[in-house]
Amino acid sequence: MKQARRWLLLAAAIVLVPQAAHAQKKPTKGGNTGAATAAPIGGSPAPADADVDPSATPATPPAAGDQTTAAPGAPATPGAPAAGELAAPGGEAAGTPDICQITPDAPQCQVAKEINLNTEAKKSIRAEVYAVQQQYVIKAHRLEIMPYFAFTLNDQFVSHDAPGLALNYYITQVLAVGLNGNWYGGLNSNSGFDFEVRRSAIIEVPLNDYQAGGDLNFTYVPMYGKFAGFGDFIFNYDAYIEGGVGLIRTKPIPVIDPDNRKFDWNNLVNFDVGIGFRIFFNRWLAAIIEVRDIMFFDKIENYQVATGATTLPLNSPQNPLNPATWYDPNTHFTNDVQLQVGLSFFLPTSFDYRLPK
Amino acid sequence: MKRRFIRAVLASVAAAAALLSPAGPARAQELQLTGPLKGAPAVRHLRLYRKGRLEISPSASFTLLDEYRRTILAGAQLNYAITDWLAIGAWGAAGVVSSATKLTTEIDQTAPRDIRTATEVNHSASPYGGQASFSDQTAKINYIVAPQLTFIPFRGKLAIFNKIFVDSDLYLAAGAAFVGIKERASCGGTKELSCYEPQSFDLASETKIAPTFGVGFRFYPAGFWSLGVEYRAVPFSWNRGGFDTRGSGPNGNYPDGQINSQDDTFKFNQLVTVSIGFYFPTAPKLTD
Repeated sequence: MKQARRWLLLAAAIVLVPQAAHAQKKPTKGGNTGAATAAPIGGSPAPADADVDPSATPATPPAAGDQTTAAPGAPATPGAPAAGELAAPGGEAAGTPDICQITPDAPQCQVAKEINLNTEAKKSIRAEVYAVQQQYVIKAHRLEIMPYFAFTLNDQFVSHDAPGLALNYYITQVLAVGLNGNWYGGLNSNSGFDFEVRRSAIIEVPLNDYQAGGDLNFTYVPMYGKFAGFGDFIFNYDAYIEGGVGLIRTKPIPVIDPDNRKFDWNNLVNFDVGIGFRIFFNRWLAAIIEVRDIMFFDKIENYQVATGATTLPLNSPQNPLNPATWYDPNTHFTNDVQLQVGLSFFLPTSFDYRLPK
Repeated sequence: MKRRFIRAVLASVAAAAALLSPAGPARAQELQLTGPLKGAPAVRHLRLYRKGRLEISPSASFTLLDEYRRTILAGAQLNYAITDWLAIGAWGAAGVVSSATKLTTEIDQTAPRDIRTATEVNHSASPYGGQASFSDQTAKINYIVAPQLTFIPFRGKLAIFNKIFVDSDLYLAAGAAFVGIKERASCGGTKELSCYEPQSFDLASETKIAPTFGVGFRFYPAGFWSLGVEYRAVPFSWNRGGFDTRGSGPNGNYPDGQINSQDDTFKFNQLVTVSIGFYFPTAPKLTD
């Protein structure tokens, strides 16, 4: 019988052991939910909420529902409070010895004593959550170098193709300021269409050459996204709009009175707007395609030819050699629509994400 | 003793060989997932916006880079997606607005109507006074019907202002286009009107068959409908200005006093189309 009692007591003890193991400390009135909180083990970053901006909080952000936290740079220690424990100063899990009483100089005890939960709770944090915490490419404070080639889209008579270079500095992730320049010299070419229209309709169409142009631009990036291709690879892209002001150098090609008119380059103020698409190959290299409209009031050749003799005084309005008679008295609003294709290099080539993923 | 010595030597040689042998090239290995992600698909609950659905997309198309006449076409695209990346269907549209370009206006106003342009520019008297308009002799697009295959290799997400997120895909379409046009009728040939005759500037209907291909984006704000923008090319030869430009001289590059197919010139006709797509069944299926 004595043996039986002992066995029954042992069985009862065995049954009770798992219950004791499952027991969690009940939340205190402060609303402690008992979620894990401690300095990171092994020095790895603490499990931070995605909505906490690390730059706005000096302490390593606590996990959701945490009430206790570690001080900045709290060292990882195996003796840190386990899950569900409240790491109050001198904190002690039920039935376990207080390590801070044994070794008050232990780092985690120093850290714990510095924490005032009420003070910590009153600190303001940036609770804003970004839908995408880490965009594929961080553009803020990076320089974009963009060589490209521009093709004329809308001039049926003379094409104004040009190589160009753009430099953009991204002030923020979505806004950049920059410069770009195009060199048209030597690449203007008359089309066969021009010849056929002149021959068929016996008309003269004033034509202009471009030499160079440059603009100060602002770029705004309202859209970004990514595509999965064939379920095999992913590429990221963004779309941008830009606008600016600059100068363009143009001059008429003498077609009405080519014998007497020799035009020089004119510097004209232009405005430009564009929309572009950038496909990223990696975090510093992308291909770009952009449609840009360069708008300006162009000076074109005068349809009217002075009919006087060339021996008249040069300033005579009858003298066809008088440059004042060469230009049409009205300027003409001109759209030079270009398709730009090129590459985009971002410097520096690497960056650190500010927000957690 | 001897056996121990041999064993020691062999062990030393083996250890030295192992240490000194060059490391082989690293080879990609399949990740051996053993946790809950083992065998899991890359995307769960993927919305299949296309597969097994019928798409009806009313559209408006705008011709680009026109020399003499711009056209706006109203139409629709009808597609059935066999898979999520391949659809079969057709696009059709009819020209509803046709307007003259600045060049047409300039020719109309400045081209001389005399013997030099008698076969080139309409010189008949207009019932409203003055000469007939040059724009009346320029060619126009009446309709386009294009059976086509649509290939959808890319799909993903788009963020707008970091606030609005829409699913999107990028597709390529290719097919054959039947283009109904009106261009200046043939003249100057045997049993045809002389190209000097005012009636020879009248337009005649014709159907061109050409390849067509395009690339487009489609955005899905909801499962039932989408917004689309597409660039499309329909390259073919036609006589847009109604001019006699070819047929005689070296390489036939000079006028021959006739209007015929030799006067057609190649044009890479381009359009931009915007559309609203509706899908049936209205709810997209989800993958596992």
